[in-house]
Amino acid sequence: MKAKIFYYLLTCLLAINSSAQEWKADISYKYMYSNQLDNIIQTYNFSRPLLTEKQPLLMNGLNASVSRIFKNEKHWKYGINLSYSFIRSAAENQNFNNTLQLHFVNLGYIFHYENAEKCKGLYSELIFSATASGLFRKLNDEPFEYDDAKSKSFGIGGEIQCKAGYNLKLKNKFYLSPFISFACTPYLYAPNNEAVINQTKGLASAKWTSVLSTQVGLVIHRR
Amino acid sequence: MDRRYFIKQSAVVSLGGLLIPSTFLSSCRKDTLFEDVNFGGKVLIIGAGAAGLYAGYILKSKGIDFEILEASANYGGRLGKLTGFADFPIDTGAQWLHGKNNILGDLIAKSQTKIKTDNSDELFWFNNQIVSSLPKDITSIFAREENVPDVSFKDYAIQEGYGSEYTNIVEGIAGDSGAAASRISAYGKVKEEENWVSGDDDFKFQGTFFDLIDQQIASQVKNNLKLNTIVANIDYSHSSIEVTDTNNNVYTADKIIVTVPITILKSNSIQFVPALTSEKTTAFSKIGMDAGMKVFLKFSNKFFDQNIIGGEICGAYADESIGKTGSDNILLAFIMGQQAEYLTGLGSDLAITNALLQELDLMYNGQATASFLASHVQNWTTNPFVQGAYSYSTVGMGDARNIAAQTIDKKLYFAGEAMNTNGHHQTLHGAVETGYNAVRNLLNDVKK
Repeated sequence: MKAKIFYYLLTCLLAINSSAQEWKADISYKYMYSNQLDNIIQTYNFSRPLLTEKQPLLMNGLNASVSRIFKNEKHWKYGINLSYSFIRSAAENQNFNNTLQLHFVNLGYIFHYENAEKCKGLYSELIFSATASGLFRKLNDEPFEYDDAKSKSFGIGGEIQCKAGYNLKLKNKFYLSPFISFACTPYLYAPNNEAVINQTKGLASAKWTSVLSTQVGLVIHRR
Repeated sequence: MDRRYFIKQSAVVSLGGLLIPSTFLSSCRKDTLFEDVNFGGKVLIIGAGAAGLYAGYILKSKGIDFEILEASANYGGRLGKLTGFADFPIDTGAQWLHGKNNILGDLIAKSQTKIKTDNSDELFWFNNQIVSSLPKDITSIFAREENVPDVSFKDYAIQEGYGSEYTNIVEGIAGDSGAAASRISAYGKVKEEENWVSGDDDFKFQGTFFDLIDQQIASQVKNNLKLNTIVANIDYSHSSIEVTDTNNNVYTADKIIVTVPITILKSNSIQFVPALTSEKTTAFSKIGMDAGMKVFLKFSNKFFDQNIIGGEICGAYADESIGKTGSDNILLAFIMGQQAEYLTGLGSDLAITNALLQELDLMYNGQATASFLASHVQNWTTNPFVQGAYSYSTVGMGDARNIAAQTIDKKLYFAGEAMNTNGHHQTLHGAVETGYNAVRNLLNDVKK
């Protein structure tokens, strides 16, 4: 269902103004760091010596995003960006395969800077986004449920992302850009993360978390 | 520069630029707490209930020297197992798993322990008859989460317009929280359970709760357990702490984890040197823990319903066979607060049993006495090392539980269900949480 919504939004974004001058789609590897989430998982592992394989920290994932540039000035371009990230942590123990799935969806505004006169092909971007997160738990490959509902935690916050890349012309209007980016979510209100992971509240973390991440990937760019 | 070459180089540089620091950062990020902490000292745990056993289990997993001193002849605290009374095992202490989104839910899943949701029907003894619903729904006022005053359940019900005919119903509801209706705070219960995340379903064990703790936790620490050791004195005035038992045996340790019930701390059965601050002892005194007992009544036929709330002698009766695989007809009388005080005052198990049979005869037209076979009384109030049921929030309690649970001088750590400040007090999983949290706090102090 969530995947359908994402594809629907993605299609809408690309379909708006079919004569759009520019659009971009990228895929990247994402490395994430959240002190609060680390602390919850570390507490979970510490408190459960029965689990010989420890739950890995949430750190490695994938990101995909689409952007549309709708305003073009001399060196500056402006647009919107929709991105989705997925980070997973799985630990297999006898009778107890525990998986955490963390999803992020961002909708943001892009400030794109490119100065072909000085540095041809190089560009940088600043993206301010609203962020929504969803954390889910699976136990033995089934969604973990209690009281007839899935164990889940949703969060909301804001992110700032800095991105730099280099455009390589392919053919016609298409470009390929390797890029690297750094992002910071200083405040993500996600009061139930601890309830999903460590099954407590207020013992291992506050109701919010901050997230730092870095990404490296490739952009397909149509002008 | 060749484009293909450039793309390849860019990808390698970008990936390298990210993966090298990522790998470095990842190696700095440990999967668990205190991987690097080496504590060569000794920890003494006072009390072998769920909190004490679990604290020992965590210490063992960290390779830390520890010993558990237990006053009674058995471990498990307010857990117990009765066999031979019925054709299925019975928990004489904690028996329901309250929600499965908790650490014991994980333990149950891992060990494949069989549990079953308790969906038993709830009936009421109201105006001298058994009814399936009350004229006015009183349970909903105790389920409210906002605008609840800091008054007792009893006064709250009166404020909400419930007359004296609801007195025993309110007593039964309060009894579920181990308290007398006149002592437990309506506001305090809501406030303290704000962080409850365990879930609302109750589960029963096909075996017993005791077995789970015995097999999965106690078995790990039995070698470090010393029974029949009643701690009388804890002297923490020096860097090495001295613990003296009632036989004048002295034990030394660097850290102490105190897991005894709040009633024991309130009664000053353990002397602390230096004495605990008045703030601490006042906090202990504000945490409620009332009398509590469980009476198991065995009958030749099943004349009773699954749950009856609102008896004058016993606030809640429950069919004990639910979730079990036996065929014996066992009715549990779950008696807390003033009702438990009254029954304890009768002085004998026989008198307690007769009082309950009399009430059941009234409810079921004499069928109780006619089919009665045997009873087993488990009175936790008269157990000198427990002296009650479990902790609850009193009127005007404020921040007492947080203060009570605070560490003293990085030497004394407090655990046990009454010290759970995360909404899971009154429960076995809450006790377990305090057990590992005490060790976490202890190792944090060592790390500093």
